[in-house]
Amino acid sequence: MEIVVLIKPVPESETRLRASPDGRRLDSEGVRFVLAGYDESAVEQALLLKENVPGSKVHAISFGPARCGEALRAAIALGADAATWIEAPPEGSDDPILAARALASALSSIPYDLLLGGKHAGDDEEGIVVGAVAELLGIPSFGSVTDVRPAGPSGLAFQRPTEAGIESWETSLPCAIGLQQAWNDPRTAKLPNILRSRKAPIAKVDWPTVAKALGSESSPRSLSEEFRLPAPRSGAKMIEFQTPEEAAEKLVRLLREEAKVFP
Amino acid sequence: MTPTVLVIAETSGAAVAGPTQEAFGVARSLAGADGSVVAVTIGGPSAARSLALLGPKEIWVADVPPESITSGAVAILAAQAAEESRAEIALVGGTSFGRDLTGRLAVRWGAAAATGVTEVAIVRPGALRVRRPVFGGRATETRALTGPRAVIALRPHAFPEAPATGGAPPIHVLDPSLLSASKGGARRRSLAPAETGSGPSLADAAIVVAGGRGMRAAENFRLIEELARSLGAAVGASRAVTDAGWRPSSLQVGQTGRTVSPQLYIAVGISGAIQHLVGMVSSRTIVAINTDPGAPIFKVADYGIVGDALAIVPALTREIRRVRGLSET
Ligand SMILES: Cc1cc2nc3c(=O)[nH]c(=O)nc-3n(C[C@H](O)[C@H](O)[C@H](O)COP(=O)(O)OP(=O)(O)OC[C@H]3O[C@@H](n4cnc5c(N)ncnc54)[C@H](O)[C@@H]3O)c2cc1C
Repeated sequence: MEIVVLIKPVPESETRLRASPDGRRLDSEGVRFVLAGYDESAVEQALLLKENVPGSKVHAISFGPARCGEALRAAIALGADAATWIEAPPEGSDDPILAARALASALSSIPYDLLLGGKHAGDDEEGIVVGAVAELLGIPSFGSVTDVRPAGPSGLAFQRPTEAGIESWETSLPCAIGLQQAWNDPRTAKLPNILRSRKAPIAKVDWPTVAKALGSESSPRSLSEEFRLPAPRSGAKMIEFQTPEEAAEKLVRLLREEAKVFP
Repeated sequence: MTPTVLVIAETSGAAVAGPTQEAFGVARSLAGADGSVVAVTIGGPSAARSLALLGPKEIWVADVPPESITSGAVAILAAQAAEESRAEIALVGGTSFGRDLTGRLAVRWGAAAATGVTEVAIVRPGALRVRRPVFGGRATETRALTGPRAVIALRPHAFPEAPATGGAPPIHVLDPSLLSASKGGARRRSLAPAETGSGPSLADAAIVVAGGRGMRAAENFRLIEELARSLGAAVGASRAVTDAGWRPSSLQVGQTGRTVSPQLYIAVGISGAIQHLVGMVSSRTIVAINTDPGAPIFKVADYGIVGDALAIVPALTREIRRVRGLSET
């Protein structure tokens, strides 16, 4: 099975968020970008399938600025066989539809049976790219998926928790999946593999090439205008009390009369 | 300006999903007095009748067997309705169905797209401004969507449900043969319905009561469940609880669990590690109950009680039953 994993580097979860000087986006100065969250699960799921279906290959692809290289190397250290960086334009790398068009265009020369991505990225949480790539390629897609397993000679079975319950699906290949969780927690890379990944080749598709292929679709239509941190919560209003009953009574009154969260 | 706003409605039998009713409210305000609201749904005549009560000017329906409803199929039908209605904006509710559909429909219909939206405004024809939480609610961004069309998935519970207005709009039936264009052999094999009777699911509950290691033992978690029942709330847990096997991992809230954004989140005996916070910090009102006044959870809480959960929680359950006129059960 040819498995392509779509990944996006995101700030480490402990990052202190700040707006850039122009106020339009996250200030990425000094921020460490990593492979994280659902994308990590997608890589894990890809490797599990590779281990279970002989002859499989995992190819990691990332659209964005140069920092994609780090996330791709992390995927290689974990066990991906190949990596491709698709360069984004300076403005618009965060337009999910543009990202999908660039990725789909690169996939015209990369073999795939299964596209795996995270159900959404840990930064912008749009969750649009996997479905949009699938529509461009004319293949089925499923988001928020767990537990992908080989089924039959050339199919997959998986689960999809929704508001109505847990759906079980079977699909033929090719298809695209936005992953919520693999069978296992994501593995960690071993040191020798991390060292080796530093020298691994990463194929690059530069932006002018992508732009030419996309033609009139190469300009972004979703642009970031403002990045804002919430006014720090002034801290909790602490409830003074002598007995648990008094605490309960005061809290319920505040929730009803001040926060108005229930009648 | 007279925009036409298409609501992509989620129905099940005759029931219209809550997030769809929220989308109707947004659609009405975007359409204003001069524009119009139209709707499309996958379903039968009873779905169309229920939708009609929300007052759209026209309705498109397609009856597709549930086991074949994929995002690809819905995108084809929704794009057809969008073309026929000459809509400029398509709205979907923030459910797993809506989020899956957004990217596909945007490509198919040639639209810009955004999900998780908490505010949306028309700046001028062909230009929308949306606001949406990012980084698990630790920040928000404003984005400009340009071009004649946009698909917008709303964040659940961010908008009030629209009241029914009644009406008898024309109903157009979409031709199921449109779906022959949809490729691939995907089939839904089964649906294990979410447990009912145990309250709403974590994903769409308006109130979540979550317990952490501070509950001290698996058997004390029952106090969390009783409080949740008195509030009609869903139960959540920290990873310390699911790792210890006190409760299943499906209840875990946080970076490696569920992200929730209810109206009210009550965190009991949870310290407030960043990996937990990213899953709940965008909740509208947060209550923390913890013995340690220095616990980080108090930094994101609106109301705090420093005290022993094992004493406070039962008192809270009794008080809520009292004000709601519920009997002890
Ligand atoms: C990669 C990674 C991913 C993770 N993902 C998640 C995730 O998705 N979700 C998640 O929750 N965690 C996650 N964690 C774990 C997280 O870092 C914390 O360890 C976890 O959230 C702690 O759970 P807790 O607050 O219940 O326990 P603790 O941190 O042990 O806190 C217990 C709290 O209870 C209080 N307490 C004790 N007794 C009482 C009492 N009688 N009454 C009231 N309060 C009391 C204590 O003061 C303390 O604040 C992750 C960690 C990593 C490294």
